[in-house]
Amino acid sequence: MPGRNYCDRLSRRDCLQVGAAMLPMGMGMSLSSLLQQQAIAADGGPAKEDVSLIVLFLKGGLSTIDTLDLKPNAPSEFRGDFNPISTNVPGIEVCEHLPLLSRHADKFALLRNFAHTDSGHGPADHWMLTGYAPRAGFNPSAKPNNQFPAYGSVIAKKLGPRGSVPPYVCLPRMHNSGGAAYLGAGAAPFVVEADPNAPNFAVPDLVPPLSVPSDRLGNRRELLATVDRFRKSAESQANQAAKSLGTFQEKAFQLMTSPETKAAFDIAREPDALRDRYGRHSLGQSCLMARRLIESGVRCVTIDHTNWDTHYDNFNVLKNDLLPHLDTGLTTLLQDLNERGMQRKTLLVVMGEFGRTPRVNKDAGRDHWGPSNCILLSGGGIKGGLVVGATNERGEKPAENPVGPADLAATMFDCLGINAQDEFHTPEGRPVKIAADGRVLRELYV
Amino acid sequence: MRSVRLIVGLGLLCSFWSVGTVPAAEGTVAATFNPPIARLTVEPANITLDGLGSLVTPLITGENTASDTVDLTSYATLESLSPELFTVDAHGRLRGLKDGTGMLRMAVAGKVETVPVVVKNMQLPRQFHFDNDILPILSKFSCNMSGCHGKAEGQNGFKLSVFGFDPRADHQALTQESRGRRINPLVPAASLLLTKASGGIPHGGGVRIAKTSEEYRTLYDWIVAGMPYGSAETPRVVAVKVTPQERTLTMRGVQQLRVMARYSNGVEADITHHARYQSNNEAVAKVDELGLVTAGDVPGDVAIMAAYLGEVDIFRALVPRSEPLTAQAGPPVLNFIDGHIDSKLKKLRIEASPLCSDADFVRRVYLDLIGTLPTATEARDFLASQDPDRRMKLVDTLFQRPEFADYWALKWSDWLRVDRQALGHDGAYRYYKWIHDSFAKNLGLDQFAKELVAGQGLLSEHPAGHFFKVVKDPGEMSSTLSQSLLGIRIDCAKCHHHPFDRWSQDDYYGMQAYFTGVRFKPTPRGEMLLASTGGVSQNPRSGLKIYAHPLGTSNPEAAPTGDPRLSFANWLVAADNPFFARNVVNRAWAHLLGRGIVEPLDDVRLTNPPSHPELLTALSKDFIDHKFDFRYLLKTIIASRTYQLSAAVTPTNTNDEQNFSRSVLRRLDAEVLLDAICQTTKIPEKFDGVPAGSRAIQLWDSLVPHYFLGIFGRPVRSTPCDCERAGAPNVSQVLHVLNSPEIQAKLTHEAGFLAELGRRPGLTDKQLIDELYLTFFSRYPSDQERVNAEKYLQTQAANRQSAIEDLAWSMLNSLEFVFNH
Repeated sequence: MPGRNYCDRLSRRDCLQVGAAMLPMGMGMSLSSLLQQQAIAADGGPAKEDVSLIVLFLKGGLSTIDTLDLKPNAPSEFRGDFNPISTNVPGIEVCEHLPLLSRHADKFALLRNFAHTDSGHGPADHWMLTGYAPRAGFNPSAKPNNQFPAYGSVIAKKLGPRGSVPPYVCLPRMHNSGGAAYLGAGAAPFVVEADPNAPNFAVPDLVPPLSVPSDRLGNRRELLATVDRFRKSAESQANQAAKSLGTFQEKAFQLMTSPETKAAFDIAREPDALRDRYGRHSLGQSCLMARRLIESGVRCVTIDHTNWDTHYDNFNVLKNDLLPHLDTGLTTLLQDLNERGMQRKTLLVVMGEFGRTPRVNKDAGRDHWGPSNCILLSGGGIKGGLVVGATNERGEKPAENPVGPADLAATMFDCLGINAQDEFHTPEGRPVKIAADGRVLRELYV
Repeated sequence: MRSVRLIVGLGLLCSFWSVGTVPAAEGTVAATFNPPIARLTVEPANITLDGLGSLVTPLITGENTASDTVDLTSYATLESLSPELFTVDAHGRLRGLKDGTGMLRMAVAGKVETVPVVVKNMQLPRQFHFDNDILPILSKFSCNMSGCHGKAEGQNGFKLSVFGFDPRADHQALTQESRGRRINPLVPAASLLLTKASGGIPHGGGVRIAKTSEEYRTLYDWIVAGMPYGSAETPRVVAVKVTPQERTLTMRGVQQLRVMARYSNGVEADITHHARYQSNNEAVAKVDELGLVTAGDVPGDVAIMAAYLGEVDIFRALVPRSEPLTAQAGPPVLNFIDGHIDSKLKKLRIEASPLCSDADFVRRVYLDLIGTLPTATEARDFLASQDPDRRMKLVDTLFQRPEFADYWALKWSDWLRVDRQALGHDGAYRYYKWIHDSFAKNLGLDQFAKELVAGQGLLSEHPAGHFFKVVKDPGEMSSTLSQSLLGIRIDCAKCHHHPFDRWSQDDYYGMQAYFTGVRFKPTPRGEMLLASTGGVSQNPRSGLKIYAHPLGTSNPEAAPTGDPRLSFANWLVAADNPFFARNVVNRAWAHLLGRGIVEPLDDVRLTNPPSHPELLTALSKDFIDHKFDFRYLLKTIIASRTYQLSAAVTPTNTNDEQNFSRSVLRRLDAEVLLDAICQTTKIPEKFDGVPAGSRAIQLWDSLVPHYFLGIFGRPVRSTPCDCERAGAPNVSQVLHVLNSPEIQAKLTHEAGFLAELGRRPGLTDKQLIDELYLTFFSRYPSDQERVNAEKYLQTQAANRQSAIEDLAWSMLNSLEFVFNH
């Protein structure tokens, strides 16, 4: 294995793989955290945190020039309506409509030299959510549309579940680029398919009906195994969809019989005051749900929050609707993780698929803009109170040293102890790196 | 079996490559051929190096004593016997130095050939033309792709037109912009163009063009020559051709390609080293930037695209399984379809699965034709039939069922975008009803297309015209109709030449022009569609007037007279139309076999060729000969053995999902699955806004809110793409059928099938189990299955009704139920 600078992580994973190989199928996975602890102990060094990931994806494209990277000195057609305010970290400013967030700049880093070259929603989404730009034949409307696996799928495949909760969860729905691609059904997300802000929120169908108590469920499950002649048959094994469905059925039974999973999704157990602080809206309650899930052992939660595509009336939409939600939801999540001591082991990444055009358009809106974007990162080994890079005076592009989605992917995986240069093999046997030629952005680290 | 022996020989040969050695010494290579190579042929037969830019890659093909051919280009040792006249480089390419006639020696596999090489015009300065000499380099190294400088905003201040669609602007960008700093005419090697591309100074795109490469040299010489644009009289490329066109390769075998460009003055030139290559299936074979194809370990066929200046051609390779097929009588040939399928399976050395049982057939054909499960009675009757023609008679019966039109109206409503949001309730329903009625009365698909494309008048009387209200601008009309009626995606050509096909902007605007006259006029009797004008459009780049004309034809002198859509409709349904009938045939095939002959079914491209081209042609001709009769087409496919194969795998077809060697498992469509659950439990579903008792396949509005239909991948019809209908399974789907109160209610409902079964007097366990199996699986249980079920009923005797529900529940959750097989 190359790269001794990753030694603690690599050896931990080596051990994990060996461990999993020696154990019967299934057991290896459920024992993974135990094995990790042992591996770390065997290393003798300080225990590295077992980091989880929350991705808050602001679909449509957060206007970073109006929020996290303001240009007050740019000509008026660029600077927009908003003013910057100072934060609790001298020298860092954010938008005046993020007053709560401004008090916690010590908890996050801003990556301002971020850029990529695709300003179309579908391909840019795929690039940002997988680290790979899509190739020829990409169809954004397919669900899932992944040519490469989403971060959560890589994490699920590489690290497996912690206990009985699923390793990768999508909230409140799955983004079209949230799929597992060639990593297969085992690495696909568990999708909540419900809004945690709904009055009687429950994950649909997670629990059998009351009329089916657990002994009867057990009977049914045994019966199903004898009735379904295709279950393990050669014809279903030779068919990707049928094989996946079989895998999903096993996963479904694991979920149904896991008290941890049920408890994790039971958002009603949270105190009302805290729920109010997060904000009684989809973004706020999704952030709260994400924290609950991570706490219960989920490794990656992706929140798909939409409507950031502000081509029209950008400033009013941001000021009156979107930013107040982001401000309560994100800020409370930062505080909550911090108060619970979870920040060191929870990497939080907030991003849209691109920035927005620095020049305000004729409809008082801003359009798609890949060449500049600002990413907010927090926890999981990321240094707080930090700004990395800068855009030029009009926010059109990084002033120097641009970094892109592959670098961000490599960094996120590195924080989780996954070497982005490792390879997966597609079912056809083609090797593909976890993140293509990405550079780990060590300048973000503590 | 000539090819078998040859392949054994090549397999040995290829093992030299896999251990990473350089081409073996001649003697060793020769020893691996059995039968031995008898003769070498060289292409071109007469090698001419004409002018300084000329570079020729000879193809060397061996023929063995059994008359099989094999590519030896990569193994041959080439030597210039006239080094003062021409040289040979490490890639086997010839370059002229001085005029004269010299000799080239080629040695491979124990054979030596010597051929003459004519070198001429070496004293003439190289005549550059930006389009012909510089653009191909920018394309080949992806400089002008949409991920790089071809992006709308360029990359780091340097912008090229995407795929080089605007060469004038690109020339300007290279030579004039940024105060000309990209080019340094005084010190050409210091030009940013060269230093960035070759890695001399940091470049966001990395090192693209090696200093030692042919392309570097061309760029350098062009700068030295003063960066000319070139004369307007310079011949243009009009076509490219790949040699060979087709080959069978062994696993890990190689084939060098040779690509010739033909120019407008009739001259042909070797552009092998300039072309851009791409494989459509890298698992079967990949290709490098010099046109060397290497097969992998997966059997199948592959198309390798060679693209050059907007022209494309393909090389097709067939890679069979390594092991020979043990000679056996395969399943029977039932009609002309099977011959086409068999000939390819034979080449790939794949054995088809056996014929399916009557139980498989009855379930499959009900689901495929009417989107509905057979009832227990229907299944029982069919299984009891001794009529030798029972299968085809069943097909005829199903055509008469009302569900036939329901189901096919659902499919075509997806493809033709019946969209309530765009049309409103009444409009969408009328549009849907027209589609539904057309399939109910088996309207010829030619007539159907004509009504759709060229209908005029009051929308209430010509409801097909609603199509032109779903898509509003002429460009979207033509691209949607191209995708749904021709199976061709022409959107790319709106802004630039299609990168993977032959469509230019003129092709796009020629299609768009058919629809530029479409108007709607309010009248006291409702909206009226008018389209008697139009037929003209404009190429936004060249500014040229483009008159309506079909894809693949040239711009005419004038617009068609009258409603231009009529001439489009007539072209569409003409017997020699190359797209429409094939598209319908391919859609029917994909529906019945789970995969198109062209796949994806709505992405017909020169570079995405059909898996069985002759079959597609034969089926289309047959379809046209039978007056575009859709039912006839379906029946023809169903009558084939290919359709009637079992899903069971044979030792040789486990990895094959491309060649129709077995029935592929397909998850039921969302609506079909929901109806199947309702039918088997006899508890119907209620939907908003439609009459009670409506089935899911009857829903004309794909936006009717429904959790089940949503998670099982019902399309929203925002595009005509077939891919909107998602068949991929996920955990939410599984949980829903396992646990949802809705499904549980259907299982336990007082008025439901299971309650009724539990109450049926005098029913024995055996009869009950038969009834369940016939209802859910359309078959009788095996002996073992019957024993298992009887045992369950006995152990749960205290609560017999729950036990029956449990049996039904496990059937609903079986792969056998959720999949069509």
